Amino acid sequence: MMGPDVGWYLIVSAMLFGIGALGVMLRRSPLIVLLSLEIMLNAANLTLIAFARQQGSLDGQIFALAVMAVAASEVAIGLGLIVAMARRGLALDVDAARALRG
Amino acid sequence: MGNFLVWVIWFLAAGACLGTGIAVVSSTNPFTSALSLIGNLASLAVLYLLLAAEFLAAAQVLVYAGAVMVMFLFVVAYLGGRADAPWAGGPPLLRAAAVVAAVALLVEVVVVLGLSWGDNLQDPTEVSDSFGSPGEIGELFLTDHLLAFEITSIVLLVAAIGGVVLGTTRERSAGE
Amino acid sequence: MVAGAWTCLLAPLAGALAITLCGQRISRRLAGWISTLTTFVAFGGAVVALFALWGRDPGNREQLSTAYTWLGAGDFEVGFQIFVDPLATVMMLVVSGVGGLIVWYSMGYMAGDDEERRFFAYMSLFVFSMLLLVQAGNFLLLLVGWGLVGLASYLLIGFWHHRPEAVAAAKKAFVMNAIGDATFALALVLLIWETGTLEYTGVFEQVDGVSSTMVNLIALGLLGGAVAKSAQVPLQTWLPDAMEGPTPVSALIHAATMVTAGVYLLVRAHPIFEAAPDIQSLAAILGAVTLLVAGLIALVQWDIKRVIAYSTMSQIGYMFLAAGIGAYGYAIFHLMTHAFFKALLFMSAGVVIHHLADEQDIRRMGGLKDELPRTHIAFLVGTLALVGIPPFAGFWSKDGILASALADDSALGWTLLACGLAGVLLTGAYAFRLYFAVFRGPRAEAHAEAAHGHGEAPRSMMLPVGVLTVLSTIGGLLVIPGVWHPLTDWLAESAEPLVEPTTGEEYLISAISVSIGLVGFALAWRAYRGHRQLVTRPDAWRVLEHKFYFDELYDGLFYRPAVAISNGLRRNVEEPVIERSLDEIGSGTIQASGGIARVQSGLLRSYALAVAVAVLVLIVVFVSVR
Repeated sequence: MMGPDVGWYLIVSAMLFGIGALGVMLRRSPLIVLLSLEIMLNAANLTLIAFARQQGSLDGQIFALAVMAVAASEVAIGLGLIVAMARRGLALDVDAARALRG
Repeated sequence: MGNFLVWVIWFLAAGACLGTGIAVVSSTNPFTSALSLIGNLASLAVLYLLLAAEFLAAAQVLVYAGAVMVMFLFVVAYLGGRADAPWAGGPPLLRAAAVVAAVALLVEVVVVLGLSWGDNLQDPTEVSDSFGSPGEIGELFLTDHLLAFEITSIVLLVAAIGGVVLGTTRERSAGE
Repeated sequence: MVAGAWTCLLAPLAGALAITLCGQRISRRLAGWISTLTTFVAFGGAVVALFALWGRDPGNREQLSTAYTWLGAGDFEVGFQIFVDPLATVMMLVVSGVGGLIVWYSMGYMAGDDEERRFFAYMSLFVFSMLLLVQAGNFLLLLVGWGLVGLASYLLIGFWHHRPEAVAAAKKAFVMNAIGDATFALALVLLIWETGTLEYTGVFEQVDGVSSTMVNLIALGLLGGAVAKSAQVPLQTWLPDAMEGPTPVSALIHAATMVTAGVYLLVRAHPIFEAAPDIQSLAAILGAVTLLVAGLIALVQWDIKRVIAYSTMSQIGYMFLAAGIGAYGYAIFHLMTHAFFKALLFMSAGVVIHHLADEQDIRRMGGLKDELPRTHIAFLVGTLALVGIPPFAGFWSKDGILASALADDSALGWTLLACGLAGVLLTGAYAFRLYFAVFRGPRAEAHAEAAHGHGEAPRSMMLPVGVLTVLSTIGGLLVIPGVWHPLTDWLAESAEPLVEPTTGEEYLISAISVSIGLVGFALAWRAYRGHRQLVTRPDAWRVLEHKFYFDELYDGLFYRPAVAISNGLRRNVEEPVIERSLDEIGSGTIQASGGIARVQSGLLRSYALAVAVAVLVLIVVFVSVR
């Protein structure tokens, strides 16, 4: 294989995952949180595909495709929720949605 | 020469990936965040190509960058000013803990990688030219991973229905 | 023979089950017939057993028949077994015979009652329980029968359950009997401890080897049970109240059979009592005390059934006296004759009550001699038998007891004889007072309208009364001193008497007691003619009316403290500690969960942080484990 080893891809994926995690935990707008979530999912995809390449088996790529489908569905629903919240006039603030406190 | 080119492309793509990622997370303007994510997805597609996953790279661009991000941009445009996302606070303990957790996560992964770089991550196996091609992936989807295929389609169906349910407004009867 | 005995035991049980299971599907009369016929079948079985046993040689007249092993614990074993010997056959005949007559009588007496079927089921249950008691082959089965007759008594006293007095009386009877049951059971525990068995033969063989304190305790426990069941002092207060039950119940349970179970126990367990002579003498003393106390109280009672009830208590005192000095044959003989004439008295009283539409106060009776001629004769015969006028039945048996007391030439024997003779005086007085009040004198006006128009009583009531009249007349002739005494000889095989009066002593005592009985009659006659009561002094009257204040004593001694303790416990333990602790557990749980619930802040980001931290930890775990 030409270019970097699989390990380098894994490092990139890890850093991307960390960045996404930071975004989920530190931002207050649900839209940005969703975007960060997308980054995390993509990092996972990268890992899967890297390992697929390393082992010569296409299972990883199949898995990544499924992840992509699920991520798309989840984004659709998430955006639908955000639009619904906006239509009802609720504040688009993750910290404000506290109704489930114990 | 070919190897060198590959390394260059790899660095550029990886750098773009991380840079746009940071941009997504740190930008205050949601529009900028969304566009940065598009860039992130594109650079990831390049990385997929380098990993002999052609079909997936194409799917990434078509589905993610094409469909999902367009949805995002639609919503950002719809929300307009309400989508503004400043770096508002929150409990400081929470923020510090979050940073620590993310850094720790990264450190852990790197350590694990380092530990196993030698034994498990040996030279990648030789793959044929048709590795990652649509034909092979399609064949797998319809034979070994048929169940995953079907379930994924059900997930998509459910999401579609969910989206419709979330989106419909009920007609309000008069006097209610 | 064994088959006869088992039939005797199980026929009434089958009757009770049949009536219970058929329920409303059978008519009330049919229920009565089932009960009566099964009891007479039992009588037939008893007769068969008697003749079979008679055919054997003397000395071989004991048969133990085991159906199956009921309980076993290590070496200790108790079987469901019946024991047929002369004593058992006599008891079986009395119980099933007199019982059958009374159940037959109650077909007429209880006719038309709402819950007649239940009555007959209970009566059959009682007959079965009493037969189990007398036929039991070991002490445990005897205790089972003991408890069952107590249950049947409770059910039948409280038969008219919508009457609060009846319910209270049933409870009182049951609780007082429970005291006796407790002492009885404790005695059995000691028996098992000392002898390792509860079978009669096994126990009696080993009883000499038991230490005297133990044997005294055992005998005391058995005596406690007998005293409670037979309504002797000090556990006698339940019997007068038990008259709240229907008259056939009073006749069967509280005159002829159940209350005599104590006497049966004293005779059956005589080896134990002979090994504890102090307790045996105590039994005699209690009998003497009871016969006097009951006789005195009977002088002032106004309720016809209560007079007869106190009379029962008194006569059983005679039986205890006899058993206490070792005159077992005469004790059982008196039990038998007493069953005849006491049942007769109760049943005649029942005819009177029925005729007068449930009137029981003798002040409102009178002059029934011409209206109820046959009942009058029956009642008179019963009264004569009770007082002990020859040739009626009570004469032979009671004088046998008194003669035995004379033959027992000790200080105790003389004292008991004096008590017994005083009792004869009292018996004559109260019995004839009752007779005069009910059947003689002016006709009470109030009853002209209330009386039943047609005849004296239905045939089902008069025929058994007739049979018992005959038995009360000739039943005593089974033992004529100096001539023949088959009954006491028969019983002597089961229980060898400790005292045997000579013929001369017998006739001497007979003469004395008949005279004293006639003196009692004369006292009652004079009081009747003078239109006054036998007891005129007001303070004496008050004491007797309150039955020597036994009820008040027990109320103050036992009931009030028990209630006070219960209330105190409820106030100081139940409410503050137990109830409050339940509340505390509840509120404590709520507080704890409140604290834990604060983890759920509702903040999405902290949840995400938690997930991230968990992932961190898991990575470390997986890597290190691998």
